[in-house]
Formats: sequence, C-alpha cells, structure tokens
Amino acid sequence: MTLASTALAAASLAFAAAPVPLASSPEYTLPFVGPGTYLIFGIVLAPVYAMVAAWFIGDPSDRDSGLLGVGYLAGLTTVLWGGLFVATLVIGAVFF
Amino acid sequence: MSVDVSGVDRETLVRPIQTFSKRYLAALAVGLGLIGVWLAFYLQQLQHGLIVTNLSDWGSGGGVPWGLYIGAFIWWVGIAHGGIILSAAVRLLGMDTYQPVARLAELLTIAALTCAGLFILIHVGRPDRLVTSVVPAWPTRVQWSPLMWDVTVITAYFVLTATYLALTIRYDIHRLRDRLPNLLDPLYDVLMIGYSEKEDEVVERMVWWIAFAIIIMAPLLLHGGVIPWLFALLPSMAGWAGGVQGPSFLSIALTSAVSGIIIVAAAFRTAYGWEELIPDAVFRGLSQWLGFFSLIFLWLQLQQVITGIFAAPTTLQHATEVKIATPLYWVAIGLVALAMLYAFAASLRPELFSIRTMVALSVGVLAGTLAEKVLFVVEGLQHAHFALYDGVPGAYVPSPTELSALLGTIGIVVLFFLVVSKVIPVVELHAIEDDHEEVSP
Repeated sequence: MTLASTALAAASLAFAAAPVPLASSPEYTLPFVGPGTYLIFGIVLAPVYAMVAAWFIGDPSDRDSGLLGVGYLAGLTTVLWGGLFVATLVIGAVFF
Repeated sequence: MSVDVSGVDRETLVRPIQTFSKRYLAALAVGLGLIGVWLAFYLQQLQHGLIVTNLSDWGSGGGVPWGLYIGAFIWWVGIAHGGIILSAAVRLLGMDTYQPVARLAELLTIAALTCAGLFILIHVGRPDRLVTSVVPAWPTRVQWSPLMWDVTVITAYFVLTATYLALTIRYDIHRLRDRLPNLLDPLYDVLMIGYSEKEDEVVERMVWWIAFAIIIMAPLLLHGGVIPWLFALLPSMAGWAGGVQGPSFLSIALTSAVSGIIIVAAAFRTAYGWEELIPDAVFRGLSQWLGFFSLIFLWLQLQQVITGIFAAPTTLQHATEVKIATPLYWVAIGLVALAMLYAFAASLRPELFSIRTMVALSVGVLAGTLAEKVLFVVEGLQHAHFALYDGVPGAYVPSPTELSALLGTIGIVVLFFLVVSKVIPVVELHAIEDDHEEVSP
C-alpha cells in the first residue's frame, strides 16, 4: 500500500467519523408519535372511552360485567393481532 | 309503522339450527366452491408475487397499483359499517320494526369486515407484512399511510362488533340452551362464562352504550372519517380530495349495507319459511331506507360532478371529465337510481312492492356501488396531479386473480352465515319475546 493510498484511506475514515451535515436538511428526528396517532386516540376513539366509562360508572352498572366487556375488547384485539403475529413467526420460520 | 312478531314461537326461531336440508348443502357447496376458486388463484399469487395481478410497483396497468383489491376493500368495509349502524339504531332509537334483522345485520358486519381485512392482507403481498411493516411504523406514520388507516378501522370495528354480539348472545343462549346442539356445549360454556340472570339488565345497558359509541363512530369518524381519509389525505390525486368524500363514502356504505341486509334477510326468510318472523313490513321499511340512502348517494355524486366540471381547478376538472365520460360510472348510477325509483314508487303504490324485485334491485345496487368504488380508486390514480403516471404503459383491467378474490369473499360471507346459523340464533330472542326489562336511556 502506497503512502498516498494510506493517506486517502485515513482521510476517508476521518470524514466518515465526523458528522457531515446534509446541506439541505435541518436535523430531523421522528416525533414520539405522529399527528394521526393523536387523531385516532384523541378523537376517533373518544366514544369508546365514554362507553367504557359508562360501563363502570353508569346506572345500572356492575364491576364484573364491566370487566367482562373490557375483557372482550382486550381479548379480541389480542387474538386478532396475536394471531397475525404468530402467523408472521410461522411464515418466517417455514419460508425464510 | 311497527311490526309485531311476538306471536312467533321459539321453535321457529331455532329452525336453522334444528333443520338440515339439501338446499343447505347446495349453498355450502357454492360457498366452498367460490372460496376454492379464489384459493387456487391466491396460491399462484403467493408463489409468483403480486405481478400476477398487474398491481406490482406502480402497476403495469397505466399506473394503477391498487385497483379491484382496494375498491372491494372499501365496498366490504362500507357494507360492514352500514350493517352495524342499522343494528345500533334499532337498539338506540327503538326502531323495533327492524329487530328481526338486527342480528343478521351484526353478523353481516363481522363477515364483511373479515372480507375487508382479507383484501388488505392479500394486497400487501406477503401476509407477514401486516405485522412487520405496519406495527413498528404505526405510531409515527398512521396519518401518511392508507394501509395503517385500514387496519386501524378494521381492528376497532371488529372488536366493537364482536363484543356487542358476544354480550347480547348470552341472554339468548341461556334461554334457548335446551334447543341448541349438545355437541357445541364446550363453546356455549365459554360464551356463558360467569353468566347469571342478574346481569341481564346491566348487560342490556352496556350494549346500549356500545350502540351509542357505534352510532357516533361509524358514520362520523370511521366510514365518514378514517376510510375517506385513506384517499382524501393523499395530495397527489385530484379525484380523491375534499371533505365531500366523508359524506359520500358514508352514503355508499349505507346504501350497500341496506341492500346486503335485504338480500340476507330474504334468503333466510325463504330458506326457513320465516314469513312470520321477518314479515313483509320489515322489507318495505328497509326498501324505503334504501330509497332514501340512494337519494343521498346520488345527491352527493351530483355535488361532486357539478363542482368538478364547472370552473374547477384544472386537474380536478380533468378527473371529473374522465369520470363522467366512463360508461360504467353511469351504469353504477343507473343501478342505484333504479332501486331508488322503485322504492319510492312502492311507497306511493304499495301493490307494486315485491320482495323478489327488491332483492334483484339490491343485487344491482351492490354491483353499482362496487363499480363506483373501483372506478373511484382506479381513475383517481390514473388522473393524478401533473399527469404523474401518464408515462406508465398499459391500461387497468381487473386480473382473474383479483376477480377470484371478489368471488372468494362472497363465498366466505355465504359460508359464514351457513355456519353461524347452525350455532346461534340469527334472530334475537327479544324480537319474539319482549319479556325483558326495558332499559330506558
């Protein structure tokens, strides 16, 4: 390896290590969550929050029945996405 | 108008569970056959990729990477939303006339949502992409991704509707247990965990609150919100933009769903001799609702066409001109208009009404709304701003693989009703026995 090529390699490494700002882009990181997430959990699901609250504090209401309802909501969501997750693992194991 | 079916006995209600006919087997064969045709094509798609549909990348069909898969997705999800809106309205607004078809509407919602979800699953290519692509990116990107809006809506509605059904079915199973098949006892045991008659009043109220949540979410936030946002939030497609998409999508959902309920209810009535349980008055009422929703659908189409062709922004004008120059669009409009005219005519002259005609017109409406939605997707993509995809060769024609998926999902709905009708009563016991304590809002 010649001196010139060694110097070039060292310079490249130095450049790679140093932060090289892109001229056109300010520093950007993704937010914690996007505006759509606030929209879904803040507005779209609001009637569901009211529903669940009414299950426990409405009249008539009963803790066990309310918990049964919450169990269905949580259980069905888990079954739906848990099932897809398991299917994903199976696809990964069998085909890839 | 009110319908009194309180004279119908419990034996009539459980007739689908206790009988088995050649006609049932024939319907089962048709349902399974349709699913089989789709599976044969779908295996080809899994093996060779989405290329078999011409929907790969930007599409080899004139820049259309969505097509029938997404058009059918919106169609099914519309049927689902409209179905549960009807069921919730029955409970919330005391529309007792429609109580005999309320559970059929709920079941149609679950079946249609399954089909809508399936279209998303098959359209992403590799099925595991739903998890590997969607879940990690969901929190930060949902607003930019039609795919993520899709799965959000389907999850929310599936869970709410299934909870609604799971809670209401306990009352019926408890009282009809001696007439249900012993073979399925383990299933009924699971469904009835912790049941006591004391819960009835509370659960009735809980279900009222689910109906409350649904009646706000379904029309205003989901089929009039998130589903049109799939399209209206993408800035490149002139034909998709605008707040009018919310009410327009909703009108199509309601029109399609009432048509679907008419078809399913008529099928059960014919198959099980349920003239008493689902009387003519139910169909007359449904046909009037169909007429009304068709009118709203046509009105919103008129709004879009008029604002799109009169001094509209250039790209929107072009998209609208293409739309009104498409013969299939006018076929779709004509099919909906025909049902509307018949429904109104039968209201004026009751002797004109026949369930058979109404079913035929409902099939026409479903064909019309499907055509309109597919055209909306396809032409919206083809006529984007800046003629984005004009250089992409070819023209979009639904491939046999896509068409088979449409047949397959129809087969799934048929199979779903055939199976479920053997397990639980598809008409609520409340419809024939008003012996429960009414819960006042």
